[in-house]
Amino acid sequence: MATTFKNILSTDMATTRTLLHEAIPITGTIVSGTYEDKNIKYYAHGMFESVYDYPYLSSSANRIFDLTYGYSSGLSAPANPQNDEKLNIYSEMSLVLMGTDGTGSIQEFDRDGDIVGGGEKMNACIFICYARLLTKDEIKKGSYTFSFIDGSLGLKTLGDYGAQTDYRVNSPAGEYGLLYTSSVGPDYGDPVGHLYYQAGIAVITASDGIWPNASQSAWIDTNSITGACDDVRNMWVDNNLQNTTELNSTIYFCRADSGEFNYSSNDTYLTQSKIIVKNDDASANPQSYITTIGLYSADNELLATAKLSEPVEKNPTNSLIFRVRLDY
Amino acid sequence: MAFLDNSGDIILDAVLTDTGRMRMAKGDGSFKITKFALGDDEINYKLFDGTATTGEQDLQIMSTPILEAFSNNTSGMKSKLISLANNPGLYMPVIRENNKVDATTGPTSNDYNTWLCAVDAETQGYTSSGGDTTGDLVKALGDYSAGDFFKVGVLTGFQGAGPYIMVDQGIDSGEDGPSAVSAISAELYESQYLIEMDSRLCSLISSDASTTAAVSFIDDDQIASYYLSQAVNTTFVETNPGAGKPEASQQVIGGPRGSRLMFAIRASLNLQTSVALFTRLGSTFTTPGSPNPAQTYFYIDSNIRVTGVTTGSRVDIPIRFCKWKETA
Repeated sequence: MATTFKNILSTDMATTRTLLHEAIPITGTIVSGTYEDKNIKYYAHGMFESVYDYPYLSSSANRIFDLTYGYSSGLSAPANPQNDEKLNIYSEMSLVLMGTDGTGSIQEFDRDGDIVGGGEKMNACIFICYARLLTKDEIKKGSYTFSFIDGSLGLKTLGDYGAQTDYRVNSPAGEYGLLYTSSVGPDYGDPVGHLYYQAGIAVITASDGIWPNASQSAWIDTNSITGACDDVRNMWVDNNLQNTTELNSTIYFCRADSGEFNYSSNDTYLTQSKIIVKNDDASANPQSYITTIGLYSADNELLATAKLSEPVEKNPTNSLIFRVRLDY
Repeated sequence: MAFLDNSGDIILDAVLTDTGRMRMAKGDGSFKITKFALGDDEINYKLFDGTATTGEQDLQIMSTPILEAFSNNTSGMKSKLISLANNPGLYMPVIRENNKVDATTGPTSNDYNTWLCAVDAETQGYTSSGGDTTGDLVKALGDYSAGDFFKVGVLTGFQGAGPYIMVDQGIDSGEDGPSAVSAISAELYESQYLIEMDSRLCSLISSDASTTAAVSFIDDDQIASYYLSQAVNTTFVETNPGAGKPEASQQVIGGPRGSRLMFAIRASLNLQTSVALFTRLGSTFTTPGSPNPAQTYFYIDSNIRVTGVTTGSRVDIPIRFCKWKETA
């Protein structure tokens, strides 16, 4: 019986998981400078601002992150500009990223991540919310650095140093690492923020004066949220991270044994009904040239196709295995 | 689609087809790859140079650039490779449309050299009282009488039996090949056919209009697939009555003959009752006007593809769907 299909056995299939990492640089010239802030989108509500990689009115622009600022109720004062908005931002972020305690109260950002042990809270924070376009499935642990101008001292760099092996899992939003100002381990000094890997959000404290060119009190009682965010942008020098894409793949091993797929239904294969490649020799080996592999359902619907970059000869003297990988 | 880079190692470019994505989105388990086929769509076997030295005969074939994978499920895998258990010698079977039987000669007689399908009562010249219609396509085509469907190749797409399409399978050998009195080997006998047609335009019925074929599935491009086997669909598939006989008068296969497929089509309700698809997909034409008055018809040109499921050979049958518009 002539056949054009061959069944794929369960032993001809394998599933794999691959983590793909891309390096993402966000330079300070993009965040402030190159596009004269035409790539910064402000909103009437003033609760955050969006940074694009190109003037945002262009259809080719991509939003790369949002910046916002908030503080906890302990810093609340009715006279502060956007007092309610700053409170709301902080409570939204802490609700999503830190969750609530046993009584239903929203927990503040714990500086060292040891919530049960108590300790210092970060009660005013800058939030950098990266777009999924950049972070994909998650930020790679230990890949994050953020540099900004440190006044007369030059450059200050934050990073999730050591996070490959040391990160926290007590957040409802997934895993997070601690941001430090020094890469010298094992004691990196006091943490100055959190980096939520799956959520793609960096939370950096604004309460201990790590932002030298901005006045902490001004952010609270003089500046709006966008004012604080603009200060951060103007201090921005460099930001690097690696994202992670989780590829789940199914590999199909398509085996063409020696006696299989040696003839073709191609319109040019025959002259009338005579096989051209046999060259008028009935005993000659047939041959065919493979360019395409089609993967089919049981009812013969073509579900996936794979193309070879060049034809591969098939004849009764060879046997081929094609490894077709479909990523999901 | 661009060509694949063939300057280095052989690479494999795999994509899900649109149907594959649709089935995956359904989430009903219909996305299940169970078999594969190999194709050689880009290969022109006529480039095989039998006079060249061994190793150089397929030089031009092997340098054929390969296109990237098509994601449209009906655009790829047009010609599949075939597995045969036994060496068939020099000859392989083909599928040919038979226009030599009385009921099938019509398309060779009309000016358009194709099957015409009258989609509604007016165009088919049908009235419940048995009278004529102004838009009778048969009469408008020339010196014909109402009901001369067979003479001019007008399929009765509205109702009733009429001419039908016939496809023969076998080895179309020349004088030096096996003769028609020889039997085709069981391995090369085609017992199952796949018929693909645009479901928006028509559906499949038997040649005597007594049976409507069950559609196997309709893909995302509205292409309906019908599987017809000799064992089940006896009104559609039969052994060629000329098999093993020398007669040649009503045969298109010169050598050993295999099976025969016969079918007609019924116009869709959409074509019968509306001109929407005609204005979107087609145009108009006007008949010569002699001896009967010239008439203007809407038309859509389409193809019906017949593929042998076992041997993979196929034939495309052009068809023009006609609907009377007005007297010219």
